[in-house]
Amino acid sequence: MSTPNTRPENRPAGTTRRGAMKTLAAGLGAASLPMWARYTNAQTAEPIKIGFQVHRTGIGAAYGRWYGRTTEAAAKLINEGGGINGRMVEIVAEDDGTDPKRGAEVVEKFANQHGCDIAFGTLFSHVVIGSAPRAGELKMPYFVVSEGHHVASGMLNRYTLQPGITDVKSQVQAMAPYVAQNLGKKVTMVFPDFAFGHDHRDFFTQAIEAQGGEVLAHIAIPPSETSFTKYFPKIPRETEVLYHVMVGPAVLTFVKELGEFFGPSRPEMFGFIDSLEAVAIDSPGLEYLEGTYLWEGNPRHAQADQSEHDKFFRAAVGVNDEGASISDPSDVSTYAHMFGCWETLYVVKAGMEASGYQGTQDRAALIEAVEAMTDMPESRAHPQGAKLFNGKTHQVFGHQYISKVTGGKLLRVHKTSIEDTLYPDETDYTTQSF
Amino acid sequence: MRVIALSGVLVVLTAGTLWAHASEQGFVLLLPTDAYIAAGGATVAVTIVLLALLPGGLAAALFRPVAVLATRGVTLRHLISVLAALGLGVLVWRGLNGSRDPLVNPMPLFVWVVWWIAMVSAQGLICNHWRWSNPWTGPAAMIGRLTGMRAPLRYPRWLGVWPGVVVFPAYAGFLLADPAPADPGRLAVVVGLYWYVTLAGLLVFGPAWMVRAEPLTVLMRAYGRMSLLGRARGRLAIGVPGWKVLCGPKVGLGLAVFILLMLGSGSFDGLNETFWWMGILGINPLEFPGRSAVIVPNLVGLLVANAALIAGFTGCLWLGERIAGGTEPLALVFCRYAPTILPIALAYHIAHYLTSLLVDGQYVLKALNDPLGRGADLLGLADYHVTTGFLNTPGTVKMIWLAQAGTVVAGHVIAILLAHAVAMQHIHSTRRAVLGQAPLALFMVLYTVFGLWLLASPRGA
Repeated sequence: MSTPNTRPENRPAGTTRRGAMKTLAAGLGAASLPMWARYTNAQTAEPIKIGFQVHRTGIGAAYGRWYGRTTEAAAKLINEGGGINGRMVEIVAEDDGTDPKRGAEVVEKFANQHGCDIAFGTLFSHVVIGSAPRAGELKMPYFVVSEGHHVASGMLNRYTLQPGITDVKSQVQAMAPYVAQNLGKKVTMVFPDFAFGHDHRDFFTQAIEAQGGEVLAHIAIPPSETSFTKYFPKIPRETEVLYHVMVGPAVLTFVKELGEFFGPSRPEMFGFIDSLEAVAIDSPGLEYLEGTYLWEGNPRHAQADQSEHDKFFRAAVGVNDEGASISDPSDVSTYAHMFGCWETLYVVKAGMEASGYQGTQDRAALIEAVEAMTDMPESRAHPQGAKLFNGKTHQVFGHQYISKVTGGKLLRVHKTSIEDTLYPDETDYTTQSF
Repeated sequence: MRVIALSGVLVVLTAGTLWAHASEQGFVLLLPTDAYIAAGGATVAVTIVLLALLPGGLAAALFRPVAVLATRGVTLRHLISVLAALGLGVLVWRGLNGSRDPLVNPMPLFVWVVWWIAMVSAQGLICNHWRWSNPWTGPAAMIGRLTGMRAPLRYPRWLGVWPGVVVFPAYAGFLLADPAPADPGRLAVVVGLYWYVTLAGLLVFGPAWMVRAEPLTVLMRAYGRMSLLGRARGRLAIGVPGWKVLCGPKVGLGLAVFILLMLGSGSFDGLNETFWWMGILGINPLEFPGRSAVIVPNLVGLLVANAALIAGFTGCLWLGERIAGGTEPLALVFCRYAPTILPIALAYHIAHYLTSLLVDGQYVLKALNDPLGRGADLLGLADYHVTTGFLNTPGTVKMIWLAQAGTVVAGHVIAILLAHAVAMQHIHSTRRAVLGQAPLALFMVLYTVFGLWLLASPRGA
């Protein structure tokens, strides 16, 4: 039985003794308890309740659906492997409507109504920013999967951590060396004129200058714009690389009009997959992206040297080699982001095991255990790649990928080092008291 | 300034329709929708011209029903209604105690997908099933029979449908402006209380309460006038949608206003998701702040949209009367023509919710597969994953969009035909009827264009 997002009736993800034994034998994840204890406790103890703050409705729902499937798959595996500290994991999903105010209410429900041990899974930054203060007040560990720089920037609190997905600052910065060395040093940036676009503008401009490159023009596009032809003449002729991070429903129009404007003699193009998550890259209308480069958080298309961990991850979530649902190949996943839920749950598991987590009284110990983490080797628990966790900033760092659209496929051409993604600490949450 | 760093996504989902209304917007924006909209408006305009040229009785003839079957009234009415009430009771219980996920819990799935989308559409397209499926008349009859009690009070005639007119915007407001209308617990409380209050009203005032003061029944009965099946001369009859509008009972002012509210609220349901509306509110559509942030603007917008529609519609009727040299009171004319916009309201309802139905209908099937959430696999769908792939594929997006647009255009064509037939009932000269209708006809052409524009414009909420 698998539902997309939660165990119905908030029951632990089902498992059988045999299933649990089998997976235990397979040795999934490290456990601090002896086998017999895990086995016996798993059948009797209260479950560990993980409040899943999910964008079921609202603008985040496309992501929410895949975050749900990934979370469900990870929870099922963890339970089949004996749960956490011998207790089953129960995912309690609450819809936040992709709404910051409701986000805070949902965190409150997790704490006061559902008796959750932790809250987890939030993607959209404004919901994270709206919910984190409440999580801090309620002393509820809040594991977000949002990519936002707000965790590492010091804006949030000791109870909020992002150990399963890298932040946008490190992603953007890590692109600069490849762009400068392979595509060109004279860059024009096209971005939507609000915080998301501004982050790209600021982080990338700084990073490309550090590589000896320069941004010739910043072209900010009003968010409500649906036709872009009038902005293209502003792209300087000597542009070698066009950096684009358009988002929203008009992205396809943007690509089409770009094609009409430049024709075959275009500069190199580099963009972020974000706007094309859940859309097949070989869709009619996207032909112009052929030969261009895209950042990917995790390569959507299985690569020739695919790791066994990626293979395992795809099979568990039910995703094929094109990153689409096995049950409907036209249903493309949000592959560049959703691994974050999986990896975060495994970090929570490791943290709870390291701290001997027993109940809500151990929440501070759980956070300290996660803060103490550093290297996370590539494994089934970390199928996207190895990670380095910074306990002071509560932010994880990891490899980034650049893919080139080649024959309608996303072919990985570059994998950054983790060092490329690092930047000086901007905060130290460990100095805050619990 | 808040740092909102995440990633927009092409597949922006609309909150205005409550939930996973996966938007195919990116591909819709690539379609030549301007041409489609022009074609839709032209179709309605051509209908008007044809009506002016063709014999006057044509429209009326078109709506003449065919009696197909002599039937007796179905006697299971109360039994089915009691079962509906019991089913609702189970849903409320599940809403309070079941999964917190609105796409797993059967309470929101039933209310917003099965009832509001499917049952309302079926009421307008097929037959007045609400006579059987409402959860009140059966329990009220049963209580009456068991206690021997009869309604102690008489529903004041002068109140008419006005209580329904007043309460309906509250329903629309809950649908459009409440931050979490799909939250299972919240919805269960609202639905449970509403059921209880309505039952009490029914017991105290008798059936008049249902058909006058209870807005959902008023809405269902109004849409029932649009359905294919009905009764004519004691027999089950079938006709072109709208035939019952022509031969049905006269509509009072309250109901006429109510019908306009149905269209106005439905239209605003689409409007409040558009970039255009976000622009008015000064909200960045790519970082929509959530429903909590737009409660008051959406409530105000709902009221303004309805007021504007009533004013525009009335203005057109007034102008038409002036042109045709009519002498009838405006209120009478208003009551006469208001039902002719029912097909537009119904068409927009169906078109607007089509994508929701396609996506959320899958969640309904999943819920039916395991109705009590105990791991059952009644339909063999345990491993089925809900898909929205067809909304990210250009071919299917085009098909869906054209189906929506076709529905909207068909609704307007029927409305034009109905309005013409109504006019011919009262004005026996085709020329005068056409002249008098010209402003209303123009209104309907513009409304077609507006409806199609709503389907085509980028949405951010």
